[in-house]
Amino acid sequence: MSEGKDVRIGVYVCHCGGNISDYVDVKKVVEAIKDEPNVVVAKDVVFACADSSQNEMIEDIKNNDLNRLVVASCSPKLHELTFRGVAERAGLNPYTYYHANIREQSSWAHTDDKVGATIKAVRHTRAAIAYVRLAEPLERIRTPSTRAAIVVGGGIAGMRAAIALADAGIDVHLVEKAPFLGGRTAQLCCIYPYDRGGSEIVRELIKDLLKRSDRIKVYTNAEVAGLDGYVGNFVVTIKIKPRYFKSMCPAVNDAISTCGQEIPDEFNFGLTKRSPIVTPPFDGAYPDIPYLDIEHCNDCETCIGPCKDHVDLNQRPEEVKVKVGALVVTTGFNPYEPGKGEFGYGEHKNVVTLQQLHRVLALNGHSDKLVFNGKEIRNIAFIYCVGSRQKRRSEEESVNEYCSRYCCNAAVYVTVKMLEKYKNLRFYHLYRDIRTYGKNELMYEQASRSGVVFMKYDEDDPPKVLVNGDQLTIRARDLLTPWVNEIELPVDIVVLVTGMVPRRNEQLNRMFKISAGTDGFCLETHPKLKPVETNIAGLFIGGACQGPKDVRETIASALAAASKASTVALREQLELEPFVAYVDPGRCDLTKKCMAECPYEAIEIKEYPDVGKKAWVNEAKCKGCGACVAVCPTEAMQIRGLSNIQIRRMIEAMGRGVKI
Amino acid sequence: MSIRPKVLYGEPEELPEERYDVLVIGGGIAGMQASLDLGNMGYKILLVDKEPTIGGHMFKLSKTFPTMDCASCISTPRMAEVSHHPNVKLMTYSEVKEVWKDGEGNFRIRVFEKPRYVDPSTCTGCQECEFACPVIVSNEYDWGLSGRKAAFIPFDTAVPRIAMIDMDNCVFCGQCERACPADSIDFLQRPKWHTIRVKTVILATGFHLFPIEKKLEYGFGKYANVITSMQMERILAPTTSWHAIVRPGDGKEPSNIAYVLCAGSRDRTLGNPYCSQVCCMYSIKQAQLIAGALPLADVTIYYMDIRAYGKRYEEFFQQAKDMGIRFIKGRVAKIEDMDNGDLMVYYEDIENGGRLSKAQHDLVVLSIGLLSNPEIAGIFKNAELKLDMMGWIASPDENVNPVRTSIPGIFAAGTAIGPKDIPDSVVEGSAAAMEAAAYIEKVRAVKPVPAEARSEG
Repeated sequence: MSEGKDVRIGVYVCHCGGNISDYVDVKKVVEAIKDEPNVVVAKDVVFACADSSQNEMIEDIKNNDLNRLVVASCSPKLHELTFRGVAERAGLNPYTYYHANIREQSSWAHTDDKVGATIKAVRHTRAAIAYVRLAEPLERIRTPSTRAAIVVGGGIAGMRAAIALADAGIDVHLVEKAPFLGGRTAQLCCIYPYDRGGSEIVRELIKDLLKRSDRIKVYTNAEVAGLDGYVGNFVVTIKIKPRYFKSMCPAVNDAISTCGQEIPDEFNFGLTKRSPIVTPPFDGAYPDIPYLDIEHCNDCETCIGPCKDHVDLNQRPEEVKVKVGALVVTTGFNPYEPGKGEFGYGEHKNVVTLQQLHRVLALNGHSDKLVFNGKEIRNIAFIYCVGSRQKRRSEEESVNEYCSRYCCNAAVYVTVKMLEKYKNLRFYHLYRDIRTYGKNELMYEQASRSGVVFMKYDEDDPPKVLVNGDQLTIRARDLLTPWVNEIELPVDIVVLVTGMVPRRNEQLNRMFKISAGTDGFCLETHPKLKPVETNIAGLFIGGACQGPKDVRETIASALAAASKASTVALREQLELEPFVAYVDPGRCDLTKKCMAECPYEAIEIKEYPDVGKKAWVNEAKCKGCGACVAVCPTEAMQIRGLSNIQIRRMIEAMGRGVKI
Repeated sequence: MSIRPKVLYGEPEELPEERYDVLVIGGGIAGMQASLDLGNMGYKILLVDKEPTIGGHMFKLSKTFPTMDCASCISTPRMAEVSHHPNVKLMTYSEVKEVWKDGEGNFRIRVFEKPRYVDPSTCTGCQECEFACPVIVSNEYDWGLSGRKAAFIPFDTAVPRIAMIDMDNCVFCGQCERACPADSIDFLQRPKWHTIRVKTVILATGFHLFPIEKKLEYGFGKYANVITSMQMERILAPTTSWHAIVRPGDGKEPSNIAYVLCAGSRDRTLGNPYCSQVCCMYSIKQAQLIAGALPLADVTIYYMDIRAYGKRYEEFFQQAKDMGIRFIKGRVAKIEDMDNGDLMVYYEDIENGGRLSKAQHDLVVLSIGLLSNPEIAGIFKNAELKLDMMGWIASPDENVNPVRTSIPGIFAAGTAIGPKDIPDSVVEGSAAAMEAAAYIEKVRAVKPVPAEARSEG
C-alpha cells in the first residue's frame, strides 16, 4: 500500500480524568497534530474508554469515512483491545488502529515538567499517526485445535491433571519415565495435614485414572523422544522402552531368587536391596507387571525358567506418535542428596535424610517400637535446611539459595506422627526458622506442646554431627538459650531435613524449550499472574518441577496447568495475533541467518513458484519476536503490522521538532 | 474495607431468570483468574462482586513480592481483560444471597443488586458529580488515610468505572445531579433481585483483615503513629493520595520504623492460632520499598520466624538483610506512645538472652494477619458448606482435591480456603476453573442437558 493514499485518520487524545490532563496540555496536543497528513478528525475526550466516547468515535468514523484510528491515552495493555473493538464495531479492520501511551509514558513519568510532558505526548501521538498511515488490514491467524493433551510425568501432579483433563472431555496421553506410576509421593509414609500414606494417595489416583481408560492412555517406562508442531497441533513422539515382562507372573518371586543379583533399591533410597527384576513397589501400583532392569541384568536368562510365558527378552523400544493440542509438563523434583560428610551423612549409617526416614517408618511396619539398623531408636535429632537456604560464599559456587518450602511442615508432621505411634521418643529439632505457614502452624504448636525440643541455630554456626564409632553426638549452640554454651546431645539417629532440587531433564527441557530459573526449576512466564504458563504457547508446567511444593500445592498447580491446557484443547479453533514474521521471497538471499536466530524453529526453506527456494515462516510457531528481522541483511524478513518502514516513519515523526 | 450501605431505598425490582454455565462469587485475583480460564474454555460466566469494583485486595497494594511488580500495573490489565471478555458478565455491587442446589449441575442463585443511584449505561466516569459533591467522608479504599465524596468513583482504576452515591452520607443537595453532563444520577433507582441458574459455582470470597484494635497492648486506633500494614501499602502505592512517606500523627517523615510481625496471627490469646502466610513477605517488601524511598531511615522487623517459603522468597529475604534491614527475633509485648508522638516498643529479645528490651521508633507498622470470611456458608440454603475451625472453607480431601468443598459442584479458590499469597491464589483460581469444567462435562455426560438449556460457548 502506498503511504497515506486514501488514508483518513481519526485521532482522539484522552484526558483520563486528570490523569493525563493534569500534566499534559491535551488541547495543545490536539492542536499540534490536527494538521498532520491524512488526519481528518482530531479531538480531545475526557475518557476515551467510556462507552459514550466509544460511540462518538464510531459515529465519527461513519460520518467522515475514516479508515484509520488513533487513541492517545493510557497503556495499550489496558485499552488497546477496547479500541480495536471500537474500530471493529465501526466496520474497520481492528489492526488499522494504533494506541499511543501518553499516560504512563508522558503524564505519569513527567509530573515535574508539564511542558516536556506535553511535547512528549505530541511526539507519541505523531508516531502513532505515522504508523497508521502505513497500517494494512490484518487478519488473526486461525488454526484448528486438537482435543487432546499430553502429560509428561506420572507422579501425583501428572495423574491428577490427566484425570481432570479426561473429565473435561479431553483425550490424555500420560507419559512416565519410570516403570511404575506414582513418582516421589509413593515413597512417603505420611502426608500432612491428614494421616494419609503417600502410596494410599497414589493408589487412589491410579484407581481414578484407570476408571477413565477410555480417555487416558498411560505409557510407563517411556519418554518423549520428539516434538513437532505448534499450539493446538503438536505432534509428540513417545518412546516406550522395553519392559521385558509382558504380564504379571505368579512365580516372579522364584525368578527373583534364581536371579540372585542384588542392587540398592532406589524406592527405599538404598536402605534395602532389590533384584534387577522389579516388582510393583506397593499395593495397587500400576502397571501390575514386573520390569526387568536390563542395566543391572547379567543376561543369564535364568529368570525365563519360572516366568517363561511372561518374559520376552526380545522386546525392542517402540515409538508412538500422538497429536495433541496442549502439553503439560509435571516432571517433579529430586530430593536433595547430601554430600559425603555433610552432617555425618555417609559416615554413619544412622544419619539419614527426611525421605529416608519416611522409608524407615514404612519398613518398620506396625511395631510400636522404632528399630533401625538393629537398634531401638530413642533420641532423634532433626537438622533443618540441609541443602536449602545455602549461603553463597563466592560467585562460582553452586548452592541452593532457595527455601524448599515443604520440609519444615513435613519434619514437624512426621514428628507428631511418630510421637503418636511410638513410646519413649525424644526429639531435638535444630532449625533456622520454622516455616509451618498458614494452617500448618497447628502442627508446630502440637509438636511444641508434646515436648519436642526446638533449638534455633545460626546459619554461620551450624550444628556438628560427631561420629565416634557407633556413637552419634550432636554439638550445637541454641540461639534461644544464648546463656548456655555449646551443648552435646547423644542421639540414636540424625535426620537431615533435606529439601527439593530440580530434576535435570535436559533433553526434555531442550526439546520443549523450557527454561530454568536461577534456582534450576522450570521457569514460568510470570511468577504471580502466569505461574503455570511458559513462553511456548500451549505448553504448561505444573507441580514441583516449577519449584518446591507440598502435595496439596502440587495438585493445585497441576490442576491449574490442566486448566490452561483446556483453554487450548477445548477450543475448536485458536485465534492468534497476526504480528508474525513474513518473508518477501523476492528479497531473500537465503543466507539462513534468520533460521539460526529463530528461537522457535519457525522458519523453514520452501520452494516458491517463481523465485525458487527461499525462507518461509510457519505463522503458528512464530512469536513475532523480530530476531529474524534484525539479522536479515536484505530486509526480506518483516513483522506483519510492524514493518521496518513503519518503524522508520515512526522514529522520524518522533524526531521532528515540536512547537507548542 | 467495604462499601456497605446501611439503608437501601425503594422496593426491589424482580428480574427474569438468567442462565450461565458458571457463577464465580468474588472478583479478586482468584475469582478473576477462574473466570478468565473458564471463559477461554468457552463457558459462559457470571462474576458477582459485592463491591462496586472488581479487583479484590490486590489492586490496592503497592508492589508485590518478590518481583516488585507494581500491583495496580499488573492487576488493572487483568481487571480490564475480565470486563472485556466476551464470555464473562460482570455484576458488581451485588451480593449472592441464596444458593439452592436443585440437583447435580443445577444451581438456583438469588443475587441482590444494590442501587448505585447512577445509571451505569450512561455514566462516563467523568467525575463531575464527585467534584460537585460537598460531602467528604473517610475513604475506605485508603483505609481512612484520605477522604472521598459521597458521590464518587471508588477507585481510579475501578472496573466498571462508574460513579455511585453513598446514600448513608448523602445530604440530598442535588449538586451531583446538576453537575452530571450525562444525566446519569437517579435518586429513585431501586435495588434488584436477579435469579440465576448455573451448572456450578466457584467461591472466591477472599478474606477479612484481622481487627488489630483487639490487641489492646499495641494501641492501634489510640496512637496516631501505629498503623496497619494495609495502610502502609496505601502510603507506598503509586496511586496514593499522600505522595510521600509520612507518619499520620504529625506528618513527620519517619526515620526509624518498626514492623511488628504476627499481629493477629499465631496468637491464641486473640483466637487466631494460624499463621497468615503473607505477612512476613509483605513486611519485607515494604521494608525494601521504604529503604529505597527513605535511604536514611532505619527499618527493624520484629519477628517470630521469617517464613520466606515460596519461589524466590528466601532470596528476597536475604536481599533485605543485605540492604541493612534489621531483623530481631522476638515477639512485641506492648507499645506505648511518647510525648513527641514516637513509640516505645517492648519486646522479648530472644537472641540476647531472652530478656525484656525496649526500643524507640517514630512509626510502628502492625503486620496484620488474615481472617476467614465465614458468612459465605450462610448462603447455602439446602446443603452444608463445611468450614474449618477458623471458618475457612474446608475441602473433604485437601491433598488430592484442594479446591473442592463439602458440596459437590461447589468449588473454592484463593483466600476463601485459607490464608495465602497472590501466586497461590492465582493457581487455585485456575485449579477451580479446571474442576468446574470437569464437573460440568461429567454431569453432562451422565445426564444429557436438553439442547435449549445449553449455553453456546
